[in-house]
Amino acid sequence: MGASHTRTEPNEFQDLMDKTGFSVEQIKNLRKRFLQLSGNEETISRENLDSIPALANNPLKKEIINAIFDKRNQHESEVGSFQEIGFEQFLMVMSHFRPPTLKTTPEEKEALRKEKLRFLFNMHDTDNDGTITLDEYRKVVEDLLSKSGAIEPATAKGIADAAMLEVASTNVPHMAPDEFYEGITFEHFEQILKGLEMETRMHIRFLDVGTATMRCGRSTS
Amino acid sequence: MELFFNPFDNLVCILLGISFTVWFTLLLVFIIVPAILGVSFGIRRLYMKTLLKIFEWATLRIERGAKENNHLLYKPYSNAIIAKEPTSLEQEIKEIRRSGSNRDLDSASEFEMSDIFYFARRGVASIMDDEVTKRFSAEELESWNLLTRSNNNFHYISLRLTVLWGLGLLIRYGFLLPLRVTLAFTGVGLLVFLTCVIGLLPNGRMKNLLSKKVHLMCYRICVRALTAIITYHDSENKPKNGGICVANHTSPIDVIILASDSCYAMVGQIHGGLMGVIQRSMVKACPHIWFERSEVKDRHLVAKRLSDHVEDKTKLPILIFPEGTCINNTSVMMFKKGSFEIGATVYPVAIKYDPRFGDAFWNSSKFGMVNYLLRMMSSWAIVCSVWYLPPMSREEGEDAVQFANRVKAAIARQGGLVDLLWDGGLKRGKVKETFKEEQQKLYSKMLVGTQEDRSRS
Repeated sequence: MGASHTRTEPNEFQDLMDKTGFSVEQIKNLRKRFLQLSGNEETISRENLDSIPALANNPLKKEIINAIFDKRNQHESEVGSFQEIGFEQFLMVMSHFRPPTLKTTPEEKEALRKEKLRFLFNMHDTDNDGTITLDEYRKVVEDLLSKSGAIEPATAKGIADAAMLEVASTNVPHMAPDEFYEGITFEHFEQILKGLEMETRMHIRFLDVGTATMRCGRSTS
Repeated sequence: MELFFNPFDNLVCILLGISFTVWFTLLLVFIIVPAILGVSFGIRRLYMKTLLKIFEWATLRIERGAKENNHLLYKPYSNAIIAKEPTSLEQEIKEIRRSGSNRDLDSASEFEMSDIFYFARRGVASIMDDEVTKRFSAEELESWNLLTRSNNNFHYISLRLTVLWGLGLLIRYGFLLPLRVTLAFTGVGLLVFLTCVIGLLPNGRMKNLLSKKVHLMCYRICVRALTAIITYHDSENKPKNGGICVANHTSPIDVIILASDSCYAMVGQIHGGLMGVIQRSMVKACPHIWFERSEVKDRHLVAKRLSDHVEDKTKLPILIFPEGTCINNTSVMMFKKGSFEIGATVYPVAIKYDPRFGDAFWNSSKFGMVNYLLRMMSSWAIVCSVWYLPPMSREEGEDAVQFANRVKAAIARQGGLVDLLWDGGLKRGKVKETFKEEQQKLYSKMLVGTQEDRSRS
């Protein structure tokens, strides 16, 4: 479905608008961006995303790119990951970062929140077994911390273990010393981040250009 | 029967003959002779003013038409898709943590799960929009210059406007394009022919003088072939012999624009085909620096040839574009330090194109050279300003990179362009691993630093 787009017409945008919740303006802008990233092709592959310099700076780059190609983030029941994605799938992933508008009802807000949490959970849970194990968690922490020596691997491991222990203690308060903690399930994850204000922290504000002011005559640049 | 047709045929032949003669005479008198002499009738400036008035009228018309029909008006392309948060890493992570737990944390102490948010969000934001990638696509206009190629958002607004556009199309492709192509061929042909002739002369003052005149003349014809209306500022700072002229690069036309005002020695790789013929004939008349493809990689060889050239004070100043690739004329990207290591005086030049008349940026991944030239020749005009900046030299204790950045800042300031630290080579290559580690170091310093505080207290 993704690879057969030619010229998108207004009614096709309507379909995308309903699915992802973006406005026409935002979809058009993202489409321009998509074409720029893909080099005017209809699909984006991982190599296209590798070429963004600001992303290269980000220690979670690998996880983010995996999240974009992750089938779980398409809200269908498939698992695994894509090799390339089309514009619709791109929009679906980006819609996780859409802010709520004034018209969003409390139920919709709750659903949005759950979606964002799910996105983050998927980022940690790389083998898709429904739990974030200690190893998976440690991997993410190590990526965040420097490989260049400011923190030794032992310290990184220590930090990850401590964080994991804290999580375990909040969820399974009376764990016996030899009990094996399986991992963080999605419900635990939600529990931990319950108070966190997702709405303002996990979204990206789209600039809304108002009605045009045409400037005639000499520009001042 | 025959008698009937003959006078008619004759008439047609005579008419054709007359029109060709008139055409060529006009061409000669109004374009080629002034190019040879270096004077100007001012026709192009008049043309430019007329065009501006027409564009203003067209834009007002569109605005009015859109209001009447309640159409969605074309919105100026905002330079960013998303709003960037100006807060620093530490501050934002503290805020995330504060909103998550009710504990009042004074410092970002332990690692928390919510720290992931900051990086995830930043990462996705940079996928949506980033500073560097958008420099490599053409700048979008705010008003319409009657070329559909400059934006595709204009719907049919009124009959008058469509007629105007159609008329414009006719004029551009039917009249201007053939005229310009003729001129281009004339200019290039004359250049090749005359430089070969001059090459036969013995080396000396006469040869240098003649070669300068010939080069200037042919470049002026080429300038008219593009209908380029150039304003030169501060000509007292024109580059002198033994110096290096550096400029920001937007398209291959930059060379023609600069070389039609002053004589330079060009630097470049030898190509095959027509370009190669032109290069080889140019070097007969006066010394240019052309490299074989294999020599380009050898930095020492390149540096040596450049420094040999600047030491010889009889040779012309070298023209170099240190960005290494074409940028879309809204910013200046990193200057490669090679030309700044040589130690000669640097004459910076800023070139700024006026985007209202035609987009001069060469997007080499989108268009080939011939395609690009055809687009240039079928636009209305190319209007640009050239500023000659005062000469700069490397100061004590300054290394080549700092010197290059100083020159870049001066050019960006004069031309009204954004000064960016990024490398133009990112158009094709990747970022180095060292940049990624910076972010990681920052984050881990934050964690480790506070651990130490706690263990001390």
